[in-house]
Amino acid sequence: MDTGRLNRIRAVAATTFREAVRERVLYNLVFFAVLMTLSGLLMGELSIRQDEKIVKDVGLASMEIFGTAIAVFVGIGLVSKEIERRSLHPVMAKPLSRDEFLLGKFWGLAFTLLVNVGVMTLGLYLTLLATGRGADPRLLIAAGTTYVGLLLVVALSLFFSSVASTTVAAICTVAVVLAGRFADVIRDMKQVAPETPDWLARGLYYVLPNFRTLDFKNPVVYGDPIAPAAVGLAVLYGTLYIVLLLAAAAAAFRSRDFQ
Amino acid sequence: MRAARYLFLFLVPAIPLVQREVDRRTVDDGRGALMYLRSGEQVRRLWPGLEDLAADLYWLRTVQYNGRERLAPSREPFAHLGTLLDITTTLDPRLEIAYWYGAIFLSEDVPQGKGAPLEGRALLEKGVRARPESWRLRQNLGFHHYLYLGDPAAAGRLMLEAARLPGAPFWLESLAANLLTEGRERERARSIWLHIHEQAPEGVFRENARYHLDRLDALDIVDAWNDLARRYTEAAGRPPRSLEELAALAGGRIPTVDRAGVPFDVDPRTGTVSIARRSRLWRHR
Repeated sequence: MDTGRLNRIRAVAATTFREAVRERVLYNLVFFAVLMTLSGLLMGELSIRQDEKIVKDVGLASMEIFGTAIAVFVGIGLVSKEIERRSLHPVMAKPLSRDEFLLGKFWGLAFTLLVNVGVMTLGLYLTLLATGRGADPRLLIAAGTTYVGLLLVVALSLFFSSVASTTVAAICTVAVVLAGRFADVIRDMKQVAPETPDWLARGLYYVLPNFRTLDFKNPVVYGDPIAPAAVGLAVLYGTLYIVLLLAAAAAAFRSRDFQ
Repeated sequence: MRAARYLFLFLVPAIPLVQREVDRRTVDDGRGALMYLRSGEQVRRLWPGLEDLAADLYWLRTVQYNGRERLAPSREPFAHLGTLLDITTTLDPRLEIAYWYGAIFLSEDVPQGKGAPLEGRALLEKGVRARPESWRLRQNLGFHHYLYLGDPAAAGRLMLEAARLPGAPFWLESLAANLLTEGRERERARSIWLHIHEQAPEGVFRENARYHLDRLDALDIVDAWNDLARRYTEAAGRPPRSLEELAALAGGRIPTVDRAGVPFDVDPRTGTVSIARRSRLWRHR
């Protein structure tokens, strides 16, 4: 990739990040800080010896919940809002390809989410240390794979917002994210609906993004051994899916008529 | 603008005041409406990818519900306890504390618990099925069989199984052997409660184990007093009428109060010594 192209993508990414900050997206971190402080202070009293587990569960789940909300709702607006407000037209008049614009938007939100997950991970470590618990380095595995999952959600929302209006894109993204979280239910669909054709259950299982693959929270919290190959494969799965979605989004965006 | 400010100043304290009034007028204690979803599987489906967090929330709810029922029992004490524990352990089948402490919550006599040791056993069996490699859960199922179901043979067998699992402590096998030996019931109970006391964290479970240990000590003291009372009856030709009469004979070797600080009772008709009903260590059985 030539330097000029990289610079243009970086410029769009920086603007996207600044917009996210201006829209007070990172304010959720304040709520997270309050949540972690409360769970750190109260859980030991209420949970009977489960305070460390609960602090870790709350911290990791918050990263996923807040991150997914940002990825869906900000992600959808990245392209469709620009189209609906017609603010895309002056941008397209500049020496910037549609692919570069889309990639820049993706990396801008990716950086916003990185800051979000990074600060939350730091907050989780601080809470654990403040409550006299060890700073378990394996939490980084769960935080890292959660981040890849969030990038997948951003890619999904970018794809849908490239082919549909804001509302439709929001509905489709939320539906696919939810379906992807029910991957195990889809795989075992025959148990509840025996007449389901095998090809359908299997097809849906492989086509929908499987967020379970990227979920390492439980083994990390329980201190199970995690093979590096398992993490590597999960990240590879996420990366392949993201690249595929961005390519599809770019193709749709290229062929779209904005007149 | 000024009016809006006054309205704001009025509304901020008014809302909690109205809520307090609503709460005051609500007769229902809220526990009846506690459970809308009663199946662990249903709840699990509502939390895709966040089952562990949901299990934590249900566990906190279980602990609070149990504590509230102990302090201020509702019309149906502990009615939702089993369901809450089932949901918690379905959401996170690895949450061992929920099986063991949940079984204690279920099995202790009312008002300390639900008084349903069979439900407690079922919960621990669910844990053993979910975590067959856990020596601790199998050991706890053994403890449960002995302490709440009065079945030392099953308890000993389960503890022997637990002793053979990876990571099991060395003393578990001798404890199992002790259980499989006939007699010395109280000593066996004491050794189990001591192990529980050592393994439990500070708080309600350690207090519970301490309670049982104190009660076993009190029963030993009662036995010593009753031995003395028999000898007194033989010598005096009548049963002792008070502990003071016996205390003179004991010469300070036997404590006159239990660990709760309450003097033992003497039945003046039969001369039988027992734990006083007003003592926290007294129990029906």
